[in-house]
Amino acid sequence: MSARIGALPGAFRAAPVSRYDQAAAMWLLAPMLVVLLAVAVFPVLYSFWVSLFDLKLTRPHRVPFVWFENYAIVFQDPLFWSSVWRTTWFTLMSVTAILVIALLIAILLNEEFPGRRFLSAMLLVPWAIPYVANGLMWKWIYDSGYGALNGLLLQLDFIDKYMFWLGDPDKTLALIANAFVWKEVPLAAILLLVGLKSIPADLYSAARVDGANLWRRFVHITLPGLRPAFMLVMIYETMMAIRHFDLFFILTEGGPAEASHVLAWQVYVETFRKLSFGTGSALAYIMALVTFLLAFWLIRMLGRKL
Amino acid sequence: MKRFHRRDFLKSSAAAALAGSSTFGALGRALAADPVNFFAWSAGVDQVKSHVSAFEAKTGIKVAYANAPWAQYRDTLVTKFVGRAPLDVLWVSDSWLPEWADAGWLAPIDGYPQLTRYNSDVDDFSTQSMTYKGRQYGLTYYTDYMAFFYDQEKLQKAGISAPPATWDEVVQQSLRIKQAGLAEYPLMLSMARETWLIEFLSAMVFSHGGRFVDDGGAAVMQDRKRGAHAALSWVVDAVGKHKIVSPACVETGELNGLKAFTSGAHAFAMLGRYRVRTLNDPKQSQIAGRARQALMPAGPNGSHATVGWNRFYGLTSTAAKNKAKAADAVKFIEWFGGKADGSYAFQKLMFLDVGAGFAVKPLFKDPDIVAAYQAYSDIGMYERQQSLARKKDVVSPWFGEWDEVNGTAWQAAVLGKSSVDAALKRSADTWNKLRKQS
Repeated sequence: MSARIGALPGAFRAAPVSRYDQAAAMWLLAPMLVVLLAVAVFPVLYSFWVSLFDLKLTRPHRVPFVWFENYAIVFQDPLFWSSVWRTTWFTLMSVTAILVIALLIAILLNEEFPGRRFLSAMLLVPWAIPYVANGLMWKWIYDSGYGALNGLLLQLDFIDKYMFWLGDPDKTLALIANAFVWKEVPLAAILLLVGLKSIPADLYSAARVDGANLWRRFVHITLPGLRPAFMLVMIYETMMAIRHFDLFFILTEGGPAEASHVLAWQVYVETFRKLSFGTGSALAYIMALVTFLLAFWLIRMLGRKL
Repeated sequence: MKRFHRRDFLKSSAAAALAGSSTFGALGRALAADPVNFFAWSAGVDQVKSHVSAFEAKTGIKVAYANAPWAQYRDTLVTKFVGRAPLDVLWVSDSWLPEWADAGWLAPIDGYPQLTRYNSDVDDFSTQSMTYKGRQYGLTYYTDYMAFFYDQEKLQKAGISAPPATWDEVVQQSLRIKQAGLAEYPLMLSMARETWLIEFLSAMVFSHGGRFVDDGGAAVMQDRKRGAHAALSWVVDAVGKHKIVSPACVETGELNGLKAFTSGAHAFAMLGRYRVRTLNDPKQSQIAGRARQALMPAGPNGSHATVGWNRFYGLTSTAAKNKAKAADAVKFIEWFGGKADGSYAFQKLMFLDVGAGFAVKPLFKDPDIVAAYQAYSDIGMYERQQSLARKKDVVSPWFGEWDEVNGTAWQAAVLGKSSVDAALKRSADTWNKLRKQS
């Protein structure tokens, strides 16, 4: 027995891999590889292939190969550029608000106070609500006839008659961003809280000894320590905001007029309402490419400072 | 002796399984008669099932009935057509007819006299709604139209003795109601971007004596003399100048509009005619017993015309190509869209159970229907307005694409983000471009 135990360390040394082992590993991994190719790689490549055709489901007998004409059509469409602008504005508003609010919440929850655990649990509630339910809830809140927002503002004497919210094109995008922020803040706050917890307490003690006040400790210790978590939250939320569709679908369907016609909505209209899979796929590819490039740029910019 | 390897076992098993499945598959198909595959949206499901059962019992023909929600119906069906799913008979909306007929998915039914003989009983606009390029593609299952309703009590309180007959009178009466403090926005219009929007807009345009497109299919909506301009100008003024319609109309869908009207917040409303049952139901409406239907108000050069819509039984091209299947499918269509055992049983059942409208004129004289309808509205008004209904003139293969732009343009004008001229020009330009492309 002792001899066997004594032999154990040697068993963990990297042994030369035999051809049999390599083949066995390949065969064992093959089913998952096939599944991945079928459900991930193939649809991605196929949708690119589709984007090169003038494919309209309701015109099944004429599907010409048009090279990159669908992309040219998209770029020449003024609605595409106004959608890009609205998507950018929505993303900027949402991500900025999420980062600020989540940071404040994370700092609060990083302190010890009575009810902290209860508050932490409550914080997760919006995150746990599905997007569709979230959208329906905000639709009810914003309704100009019987919405809770009008009721609240009227009771508080902020307004003297019911306002209309989602129907006002100057307010629509900000109101949808508000609903998006409400849903996304919890996850961002938790990620930032994890980042805060990872900052060594010794740094704060040393700074206090050196006479650094609260603000200087925040600027010189907390913020730099939070950079990795910040980067993660910023990239994740930026991608979520650019691609977001659910709230636009439930709250406004791209309206009123074109006030909430963002890129994700345009992809939906093109693909599932017009059933133009060619231009729909081209749009989706453009959106994916923009998201990828933006994420890449953010990683490079912020990663350099880590 | 040859060894039996694992690979041999797998090969043998697969072969046995294939042989077994094909044998039993063939046996199964032989035992079960090939059913009529009927697809509908999920409305009146219990009524459909009971009528299917009666059809099966009467004819011995099996029916495979399936349904999908209305909101996803078009996408679902298009996908099924493209994927060559088994479909024989289906419910079709008049809005999709040109698209589906041009794609070769629907077959005309005018070669079956046992179906077309019912046309003489059906309102003209309903038959026209099922006709494309001179061919008839179905038998009606449900027909209705956009109606004008008023709250009788509010009018009486404002000292108004009769409902408005013109859109000018709507303005005058609304202002009186508003001044009397009876409603902030007397007229309820639902102008949210949804499938209902084109029905509201068409009713406004038709009652102003207008058209979106002429008989040749060219856009005339931008022409100041052709009614659409007058209709949109009226809506813009009603919202911005007279303030008798809430600016929130652009976020109010048909269902929310119904709720708002039943809450007693408005004096007038444009809603689907069939909503009158809900409006006068005390369990669902605070204005129960007070909701009355009037003829659609007329514009300066218009009439009491309104828009009607039609849903019908369509026959698929694949079913039409198979003689035996087509015979069964035609029997099925007649049982539902025509007479079953000598009467329009299904239309009557749908009307009495769920309040769905019908296009077969003899039912207006049916004692059961008259008695049921008189309990909550006036069947004479129902019939009179239906006789003035017209089919949508914009139904075309490119209708869906144009509808997106047109709805947006009207909303932009209502919100003051665009002039009436610019909005209608945009709509007309889009129409002409799509028409040219097709």
